[in-house]
Amino acid sequence: MPSTSVALTPGLASFLKSLNTNPIDTSIENLVSLLKRRQIRHSRSCATATAYLLLRVISACRTSEPVKLIERVQSVGRRLIAAQPREMVVGNIVRRVLGLIRDEAEDDRDAEFALSEAGSESQPQTPRGFDDSSLPLDRDMLRTEADRAASRPPLTSMFSLLSHPVEDNSPASTPGTQSPRGFPGHGPGKDVRAEVLEGINEIIDELDQVDDQISSYALEHIHSNEIILTHTSSTTVQKFLLKAASKRKFTVIHAESFPNNHDATHATVSGASPVDEENLSFEAFQKPLIALGITVILIPDSAVFALMSRVNKVILGTHSVLANGGLVAAAGTRVIARAAKVHQTPVVVVSGVYKLSPVYPFDFDSLIEYGDASKVLPFEDGDLVDQIDVQNPLYDYVPAELVDLYITNLGGHAPSYLYRIVSDHYRKEDISF
Amino acid sequence: MATETRSSAAAGAKPFDIVASYNELLRSDPDLTMPIAAIEALVLLLTKEPSSTISETLDLLEKSTTILKKANPNPIGLSAGTDLFQRYLITTLQRPGQLGPAGDFKAIRTHLLTNGRLFIRRAKESREKIAAFGRGFIRDGCTVLTNGGSRAVASLLQKATADEGLPSAVRFRVIYVLSSFKNADDPSGEPEGMETVRALRAKGVPVSTIPESAVAYALGKTDMVIVGAEGVVENGGIVSRMGTYQIGLLAKAIGKPFYVVAESHKFVRLYPLGQYDLPINQHVIDFKYDDDITEQKEEPTTPTNGDRQIELPLCDSVDFTPPHLISALITDSGVLTPSAVSEELIKIWF
Repeated sequence: MPSTSVALTPGLASFLKSLNTNPIDTSIENLVSLLKRRQIRHSRSCATATAYLLLRVISACRTSEPVKLIERVQSVGRRLIAAQPREMVVGNIVRRVLGLIRDEAEDDRDAEFALSEAGSESQPQTPRGFDDSSLPLDRDMLRTEADRAASRPPLTSMFSLLSHPVEDNSPASTPGTQSPRGFPGHGPGKDVRAEVLEGINEIIDELDQVDDQISSYALEHIHSNEIILTHTSSTTVQKFLLKAASKRKFTVIHAESFPNNHDATHATVSGASPVDEENLSFEAFQKPLIALGITVILIPDSAVFALMSRVNKVILGTHSVLANGGLVAAAGTRVIARAAKVHQTPVVVVSGVYKLSPVYPFDFDSLIEYGDASKVLPFEDGDLVDQIDVQNPLYDYVPAELVDLYITNLGGHAPSYLYRIVSDHYRKEDISF
Repeated sequence: MATETRSSAAAGAKPFDIVASYNELLRSDPDLTMPIAAIEALVLLLTKEPSSTISETLDLLEKSTTILKKANPNPIGLSAGTDLFQRYLITTLQRPGQLGPAGDFKAIRTHLLTNGRLFIRRAKESREKIAAFGRGFIRDGCTVLTNGGSRAVASLLQKATADEGLPSAVRFRVIYVLSSFKNADDPSGEPEGMETVRALRAKGVPVSTIPESAVAYALGKTDMVIVGAEGVVENGGIVSRMGTYQIGLLAKAIGKPFYVVAESHKFVRLYPLGQYDLPINQHVIDFKYDDDITEQKEEPTTPTNGDRQIELPLCDSVDFTPPHLISALITDSGVLTPSAVSEELIKIWF
């Protein structure tokens, strides 16, 4: 594959650099192989790469017909997801972009609809169902109406049972609802593509700002002289703690998460700039907590239970959050959450909304990724490696009942409320595309 | 005027017997759920009883609903239907200009009266929808424990056996908990759910039937519990066949997921605080002396339909499973957490 960035090690930075110069198909291939080789990992890097790629894909699309755009994004999305199905943020970003296109297309269609309807003096069999709500806040209801106009099945309201029959009983309306879908260009001159590109840029901005937004809630949750336990070198958690440290004095107990993340954790604690160039822009310029006068205690994971009785609050980062309120996080998280439960210590998970996946965890085992076994037992110990089976799971599934609170860039939510945020961010028809 | 017609109906005169038509509907179609039968009965009522004003209609509905509820020993299921119908009418009327500009009420009325069949069809379709959502829960090689005679569960399990969407059919096993009560409606006297058991076996699913007392024993070999519900209450708990609560408790204790399959028209605005807080007259716990038993032998009591709510026969008794035991509700509007139920209800009530 021709790569213009030979000097860089393959990763997010090199990918973004090559994105503008390479042809679009090469870029897709590039990202697919980066994801497959795990040269882009971390949820945020994957999300950023996906968002930038889709930005390129859409701006390279010559059409601005929503149907074609959706097809294109879907096909790219499927390839990316197939490349790394456990990196759920990729799917999340693709779904959000699909949702963007659909929203824009529907805005267009509704505008057109209103025009045609004004002419026909709204007969009883107009395709506007009962759900065409005038309540300003109820987005779901509005969507429901729009959904039906396009004769798609998902309906959220209980009233769908009794609502005015559109699909079958008024065949006259069908061509009316279909045609705007086929010829969206006839809309009142709005460029769907430009709107979508703007939307993707907003997603990219969101990805940039998400940690700062989350950290703005820090002072509400961390109080003076508290003892906070955390795990792994999550940037979100670090920023969260740093924000609180600027105002308050507290103690942090940091579990090191051997063997996958202990080096990064040590670096985070000591403030030595991490070697990982992917995180260069985020972490390298960040002061460690100790520089702000916070007592940081580094412990091995195995000591978590022993210290839990002294801990006031557990703050965890995550890999992805699932629709039922459960989460997939670095291995060892479940042990911590379980220990916290036993000691009745509150568990707070900080996570950007972009990590929230509409996927329902039917099969927990399939969500767990297994990593490099040599981190557990180096291959130098060849004799031992021959005789035993070494495994290194990277993630844990933490069930919803072990989590007390989620803090996202939108605020704090109970795990049982996450379904609501899911339905606000993703369209039903995109959940499995 | 409406009062007159109703009072004559209540006296058992000619006009329209809502209770009879409700029971007739339930009898005629075994696939019909209680809420839908109630809605259908109300539709029939509106067809039979002419009413031209809104308040007249609402009054008529209100009165008939009360009669219907009184006549039924377990009004939870049907009240979901009657409430939905009433709310639909009121909410639609409050938002003018959607079903026709001036003749609002007439348009809604004709819509409701002419589409009775459609509602039934949609209700049945919603079971299909649930099956599509719930299919993902049943994985290859898993064992499902279920109970009762829920049609939604039956359709979900049958859908999982024959799946066109997936490359290969899912192989799973079913443990069916059979009630110790004899089914009163069934002349053969076999417990509820045998029909589903037979249907599943015919499709090549290995089914084991166990008594209720063996649930704790069997749960160790189970991957998940899937049950149906008669009504889903506001806090996300369910009112379901007697025995469901204990399965829920055991599943929680053993750490197995407990899923509920229910159509969203079964959501009912009720907030029971415990087992004995349900608006049902059932004498499951019945303390007796020696004298009572001899007395009962002499004259078998017949359920009297006085002013009091009539008693629910023991084989139809229900219990309440609180929301914290439920992992998820599989409904036709998606897989919901128990707390999502109240939101759906709020959407239609406020």
